[in-house]
Amino acid sequence: MHPGRQLAVLGLLFVILYSLVFFGPGAEGSFTDRLQPKLGLDLIGGTQATYVASLESNGKPPPPGNMEEARKIIDQRVNALGVSEAEVVIEGNTNIVVSVAGQADDQLKNVGQAAQMRFRKVLKAAGDNAAVAVNPPTANPSASAAPNPSAGATPKASTTAGPKVSAKPSGGAGGQGGGERAPSPSASAPAAAPSAPAPAPSTSAAAPAPVTADIKEQRAAIEKKVGATAWAAAEKLTAPVDLQTDPTAGLQFKAFSTLTGDEVNALTPEMQFNVPTISCEQLDKRPNGAIDAIDKQVVACQSGAKMFLDVAKVVGTDIDSATPQLDQQQGQWVVSLEFTSDGQKKWTALTREAFQPAADDPCLTAAQALSTGATHCLVAVVLDKEVISAPEIQGVLSGQSQITGQFDAKSAKELADQITYGALPVTFRADATQSVSATLGKKQLQAGLLAAAIGMGLVAIYAFFYYRLLGTVIFLSLLLSGMLTFGALVVLGRTTGFTLTLAGIAGFIVSLGVAADSFVIYFERLKDEIHEGRSARAAVPRAWVRARRTIISANTITIMAAVVLYIVSIGAVKGFAFALGLSTILDLVVVFLFRHPIMTMFANTKAFMSPRVSGLGRAMKQRVSTDVKEA
Amino acid sequence: MASKGLADRLYLGEANLNIVGRRKMWFGIFGALLLIAIGSFALRGFELGIEFAGGTQFVIPASVGTQAEAQSAVGRAVETAGVAEAAGIGAAQQVGKGGDAVYTVRTAALSQDESTAVKNALVADLKVSPDDISDNRVSAAWGDQVTQQALLGLGIFLVLVLGYLVVRFEWRMAVAAVMSLLIDLVLTAGVYSLVGFEVTPSTVIGFLTILGFSLYDVVVVFDKVQENTRGITGGTTQTYSEATNLAVNQTLMRSINTGLVALLPVGGLLFIGAGLLGAGSLKDLGLVLFVGMGLGVASSILFAAPMLAELKDREPRIKSHNARVLARRSAARSGDVARTDRARSGGAGESEEAPALAGSTPRPGARPAAKRGTTRSGGAGNRPSGGQKRR
Repeated sequence: MHPGRQLAVLGLLFVILYSLVFFGPGAEGSFTDRLQPKLGLDLIGGTQATYVASLESNGKPPPPGNMEEARKIIDQRVNALGVSEAEVVIEGNTNIVVSVAGQADDQLKNVGQAAQMRFRKVLKAAGDNAAVAVNPPTANPSASAAPNPSAGATPKASTTAGPKVSAKPSGGAGGQGGGERAPSPSASAPAAAPSAPAPAPSTSAAAPAPVTADIKEQRAAIEKKVGATAWAAAEKLTAPVDLQTDPTAGLQFKAFSTLTGDEVNALTPEMQFNVPTISCEQLDKRPNGAIDAIDKQVVACQSGAKMFLDVAKVVGTDIDSATPQLDQQQGQWVVSLEFTSDGQKKWTALTREAFQPAADDPCLTAAQALSTGATHCLVAVVLDKEVISAPEIQGVLSGQSQITGQFDAKSAKELADQITYGALPVTFRADATQSVSATLGKKQLQAGLLAAAIGMGLVAIYAFFYYRLLGTVIFLSLLLSGMLTFGALVVLGRTTGFTLTLAGIAGFIVSLGVAADSFVIYFERLKDEIHEGRSARAAVPRAWVRARRTIISANTITIMAAVVLYIVSIGAVKGFAFALGLSTILDLVVVFLFRHPIMTMFANTKAFMSPRVSGLGRAMKQRVSTDVKEA
Repeated sequence: MASKGLADRLYLGEANLNIVGRRKMWFGIFGALLLIAIGSFALRGFELGIEFAGGTQFVIPASVGTQAEAQSAVGRAVETAGVAEAAGIGAAQQVGKGGDAVYTVRTAALSQDESTAVKNALVADLKVSPDDISDNRVSAAWGDQVTQQALLGLGIFLVLVLGYLVVRFEWRMAVAAVMSLLIDLVLTAGVYSLVGFEVTPSTVIGFLTILGFSLYDVVVVFDKVQENTRGITGGTTQTYSEATNLAVNQTLMRSINTGLVALLPVGGLLFIGAGLLGAGSLKDLGLVLFVGMGLGVASSILFAAPMLAELKDREPRIKSHNARVLARRSAARSGDVARTDRARSGGAGESEEAPALAGSTPRPGARPAAKRGTTRSGGAGNRPSGGQKRR
């Protein structure tokens, strides 16, 4: 290729890179703002989020092993966000503190999420009529006297209740489910207290009483709060109150609409589902982990509909891997799931159950209520407290399956990451995020840049001393790789969240030194060729061919190291690998598109061989003198 | 030519240092260093930083002054409490803004008693209420998993690079190169263990940087060895070791230059990091890179090339070739000089192992004999291994 053409390609690269820097996505503000790379936590500070673990049911903090496990998972999640160089530590016994560079409140919102994945068949469904129930459109006091008896016709649902339910399974009246209906133990733990100024939690803080007693106490407190009549009426309910036939039927349960999330959580799932005045909003306020229990039936909401869900027959640990995918036909994002071999069996069984429901299974009714014309049951995909989607099962699924929902590229990836990295063994409550300052600050940054300047200066001096005018080529290429690296950093900081820490800066300084190495290899080759008596014009291409081979081999090894470390490792090492790969590739770009053409052009000038100019003449002179001797 | 100084001879790749011939000595030295390093791992272990080992975090209200003052206050308190030798102090950080802002300063892990003592000293020093200062255990930020995954990556890389070098060179070169890399890594770690430098995440990052650099140097040397020994069995002028030594001498300046050029910026880092700032990432990185890169240059010359010669000398083909060369030399010595080697004149630099062979042994600094030799058919003026042929 003509040297001019290579230089033109390099120029084009430069123009593209720097137009991205100044006018690309994310470029805002003044001239200097646009030139700002994304600096790391140690240099400019950032955001710190604290996640407080819920205490165990006995009032003790979670075991250290679980906390460390949770720390690792959160660490992976943070890194998967593309935030490099985040710091995740356990503070004290119950806090996990996540610090990331820059403003990142949004990004940190969900990393403390438990991510308990549950697949539950939808058994019953009802609209969220709380608003109507509390304020019926037409007041009709006479109707409020009795609960609507016609609605309580379907006691079948509870026959599928979890195996541990010891109370009469079909009992529409009194003591339904008993204490065993407590949702997951962590939900009732006192650590949830700060969000619930209600009287209930205070009782459990002192005594590590069994959950059942704790729940009973809470229920007693609630009974007092809503009034005995309402409580008794609610306990008698076996199906959602039919507000269409009697709009005022919900009025007697009005007090239930004032319950806090914790209090709602203490109720039996049947009550949560049947009492019309308990809104989805209240259900959503239940503490984290409220519906995690695998062997319990639970109530959850999706787009304004209350759903009564079966025990979880397939859970997150049954999933081997999850990947976000763009469904080509539908044009929407889905999360594709690979089950473990055991999990696949369970999943196939669950889908068969939903696809061909037993005649007496209420799920078909629920399916038809939720989506008109449904001929098969729905299976709800539940993540923590949220129903991600509840699709109708269209067949017995024995292979890869997909979760559809309202995903975009980002949320699909987030869900896939959460499933892949697993659920947290501890439930957390997010505390307020705070800003944190830099640990090193300006002084260290300046010192780092000063070190860079000194280092580069020394290299330049050495190059000029040793290679004379050829030192200019070295110096120019270093400058060039410096500018390319910088531009790439700015762009990558915006697009992939790559942050530059002090260690990163040091790494790039070192990589510039290593880049200068490839010159030494080239020039020494050139020296050899001239030493052997070739003219500059002949020596340059020959030296190039040989040096190129060495340079490519050496850089291949470095790139290999970078790629392997990037794929395998996590955390700071991953960030390092990225930087290493980037600087090596840029080195190759400069070698091929700048140094070689420049040298080719340089070789055509007369000054090239002058000892004073290039430093190569010395080799030539020796050669001449030895030849003379030999002759 | 004998009047040329070492610098000039180095410049022209004619330093004539007999490195490969003294390989037993180098193996002995590297072996001893390895033993010391491994012994030190076993006996002394490593001084792990807060990021690895966890620590104790003190929270101080921001009303006490600047971030730097808070940090030095903790430093004083640690000394007052008499736990200074155990406690490295991390950089202070401000959390929150405005009136509620606090500084957090981390020290190495302290026992309950120690941390109470430090807290009391802080209260006395800063004249704040004891309630304003809290202390907490913090876990390691750099979990075991990061280290495990990095080691796994290192393992995969070694296997891959071994494969690459086998394809690019040959298995003996690959083995020698990877051995030399491992020696670099072990010795660098050994320096840390022996001297007791603190191991921080920056250190580990720097450590991984050595990976690529160390092999870079070895590839440069081996490339030349490969070039010099291509078709070596066709002639009887050089043993494999001599050809290797020649390559080492020819690339010596290159190695010194690349080493220097790479070490200069690192030296700058170290100077600024340790000299002006005292501690921190810059010093950690500068130090590990300086040690590792220095060792990398040394081991590529002093270990990788001799190791390659050792391995090659065991190869039957090379073994018989070496025997032929030596037989021919002894024949030459006995007066039956078949062909005078056309190495450039000048008596300097016989190989130590065979001083009597001066006449027929090419001086280590000489160009490959084939270049101007008459025995090779590579085309006039061609080096034994034209780059075009390899492409």
